[in-house]
Amino acid sequence: MTGAHEVLLETERLSVSFGGLRAVDDVSLALRAGIVTTLVGPNGAGKTTLFNLITGHLAPHAGSVRWLGRRITGQPHWRIARAGIGRTFQDLKLFDHMSVLDNVLAVTERDAWLWQRGGAAGAAQRLARAEAALQAVGLADRRHARALDLAYAQRKFLSVARLLASGARLWLLDEPASGLDPRSYERFLALLREQVARGCTICIIEHNLDIVVGISDRIVFLDQGRVLAEGDPKSILSDPNLAAIYFGERAA
Amino acid sequence: MLAYLTNLAVLIGINAILAVTLNFVLGYAGIFSMAHAVFFGVGAYTATWVAIKLGGGLLLATGAGMAVAALISLALALPALRVRGEYFVAASLGLQMLAITVFSEWKAFTGGIGGITNIPPASLFGFQLTTPAQYLVLTLACLAAVIAIVRALVRGSFGRSLKAIRDNETAASTYGKNVAVIKTIAVAVSSSLAAVAGALYAFYMSFVNVESFVLDTSVLLIAMVVIGGVATLTGPIIGTLLILLLPAALSYLPGLPSTEIGSIQQIVYGAAMVLLMIFRPGGVWSLRRREGDPR
Amino acid sequence: MLLLQLLINGLQLGAIYALTAVGFALIFGSTRIFHVAHGAAFTLAAYLFWWSFTKLHWHWLAALVLAAAVVIAFGVAMERWIYRPIQRHEGAFFTVFIAAFGMQIVVQNAVGTVFGRGFETVTVALSRAVPVATGLYVAPVAAVAIGTAIVCFIALAWFLTRTHIGTALRALSDNPDLVRVFGLDPARLAQVAFALGSALVVPGAALTAATQGINPNIGAHIMLISLAATIVGGIGSLTGAACGGLLLGLAESLALWKLDAQWSEGVTFVILFVFIIFRPAGFLGRPLGAK
Repeated sequence: MTGAHEVLLETERLSVSFGGLRAVDDVSLALRAGIVTTLVGPNGAGKTTLFNLITGHLAPHAGSVRWLGRRITGQPHWRIARAGIGRTFQDLKLFDHMSVLDNVLAVTERDAWLWQRGGAAGAAQRLARAEAALQAVGLADRRHARALDLAYAQRKFLSVARLLASGARLWLLDEPASGLDPRSYERFLALLREQVARGCTICIIEHNLDIVVGISDRIVFLDQGRVLAEGDPKSILSDPNLAAIYFGERAA
Repeated sequence: MLAYLTNLAVLIGINAILAVTLNFVLGYAGIFSMAHAVFFGVGAYTATWVAIKLGGGLLLATGAGMAVAALISLALALPALRVRGEYFVAASLGLQMLAITVFSEWKAFTGGIGGITNIPPASLFGFQLTTPAQYLVLTLACLAAVIAIVRALVRGSFGRSLKAIRDNETAASTYGKNVAVIKTIAVAVSSSLAAVAGALYAFYMSFVNVESFVLDTSVLLIAMVVIGGVATLTGPIIGTLLILLLPAALSYLPGLPSTEIGSIQQIVYGAAMVLLMIFRPGGVWSLRRREGDPR
Repeated sequence: MLLLQLLINGLQLGAIYALTAVGFALIFGSTRIFHVAHGAAFTLAAYLFWWSFTKLHWHWLAALVLAAAVVIAFGVAMERWIYRPIQRHEGAFFTVFIAAFGMQIVVQNAVGTVFGRGFETVTVALSRAVPVATGLYVAPVAAVAIGTAIVCFIALAWFLTRTHIGTALRALSDNPDLVRVFGLDPARLAQVAFALGSALVVPGAALTAATQGINPNIGAHIMLISLAATIVGGIGSLTGAACGGLLLGLAESLALWKLDAQWSEGVTFVILFVFIIFRPAGFLGRPLGAK
């Protein structure tokens, strides 16, 4: 895809260290609307840490993060979430003891007070948004089931539904496809393509290279916290050096 | 006999208010407060002060108690909720122990160890409540009101926020919930409603002293909530009934020296807590629920 | 002189608090179990020591061994029969805490029923205060307390750094999953942690019986202080817990210089609050941060 896709999220020389270890080292990248970016790299490369830096769960030691042009580095994570940045987790982190509908509804209720603003009309709107999200992922008929009782694939879709309902424009997905059967995976891809067409930007951490090729517009290769290469899937994946690093045969 | 039953009913009602409000933070939000008796006491002492020093009626006294309790709970919650759960337990324990000292030593406000006697009867719009039966009606009305408030909160967006935080705090914060503020509000609501029980207690007994507001009381309240069933509306009431009726039940068992009844009561509910946590963490009330009911 | 007296008393008290706090911190650090029944272990140890020494007229060493044996059995049994089933089921902080708490209540009341609710002391020659200088009375038991604490800590440090099991325990507290990878059994290690942590209450319990005296509530009281010491010293640091215990003992004693006795206990909790507000990581703890 070419053309002027606006930059939604930009990190500039982002770095964080734990002890003496640089987990994320001088990472600058831009995530554009309508583009699916995939982060690949060996284990421990800093991909999840990078997500944590973007969502505000971790504070960087250097560098900055900009969202829609504004600096968001150092802001509390709940404020960053409300600005439109959403994320899923490898271990899903669903609200297990709540119903499917409540899982999604809870996400639309942002005000930290005894009641939400907007009165009955607002409540109706939020409910409609929650229902729409459930429809989109195919869970509408299970809305009263307890999240804990769902099958694995359904749980994965529920975590995506939460993201949908939150209205996020940046989707950070941590290994979203792992464990999905082919049909569910196709449905999932269709969802992502729909979101991308609406102007969201999606960033995925993924290990499965087939999936990586199937969905990505751009690949960013991380190793030991640094960006080693970025570009279109074909060129990155056909580079023998990167393959060697990915499979652990050689350090950068 | 009737007098005995009425008295017991009033005490059950007051404790039920405390249990329901404790369950709000403990069961629904997963916040461990060992200091609930403190807010009970604050409500009682403040209401007493307003009634004696200002001649205030029931509404003013209770309102003042609620306000003071909410303020003090903020002092506890704001620092302690920023960090992990174990800290809140320790901080609330600390508050409870400090409160005992303050309640015992601040003679001007609390009457010291001797407490305050001859509290005037509660007056509501000029009508004075003097008989136990009247207090029973008042207590049950307050209990109903507290349950209604808690129910409305729990079933609405605030309840969903609390349960989300309880189920997975990281995810809740990732999706935009300001966890610290929400928890603080929950603690403030719970504490100020507990103060209502305190005001009722002070007026009913016409007497307050520190012995009612010690760590043992906080522990008893936790037992009521846990044994009855957390995160349900009925659970704490069942727990209150079970625990408060236990001494009466025990006194019917032959061969139990009456001096030991208090100890035996505690052993029974201590053991009940241990066994329930191993086999049925949901408490007694969850024994009747079907699996798969979302709470 | 009064200040010096209070200082020495504070060190004695601090030594006892430090020992108990380290026991708690060891268990929590290795197993992440919030073992508030640690106070119950203290009560058991104290009463068994007092009873076998004073009522059965056993030799003090035998009394200590009895106390240690029962307390270790208690800790290990808690792990095996109460905490482990809970953790298999769900293992939420809440469930573990309530179970431990329930046990604490049971033990405290059982002890009160069996041994009486009064205040008991163990009087030994060591307990009698000896005038050391004008206005300064020191009971040799103070030196015993401090000495015992030092010896125990050195032994513990040696155990944790020089022995195979000790190193495994430290690994467990850093990364429980990794321990399994290396072929060690976390369940067995947990039992070691409980046995060791519980055993650490014995010297403190015996000393408390010989100095301040004991009553069934003593365990709950000590539990609070251990908790406060662990937080003040820093969750995750044994040295921190020991320093925290020492600090709180000194503070409680020195507070008597200016405050009434009733308020001196309050000082402990004021210190706790100050740390929670300004430095939740404690002196030496790794800031574990919000969940």
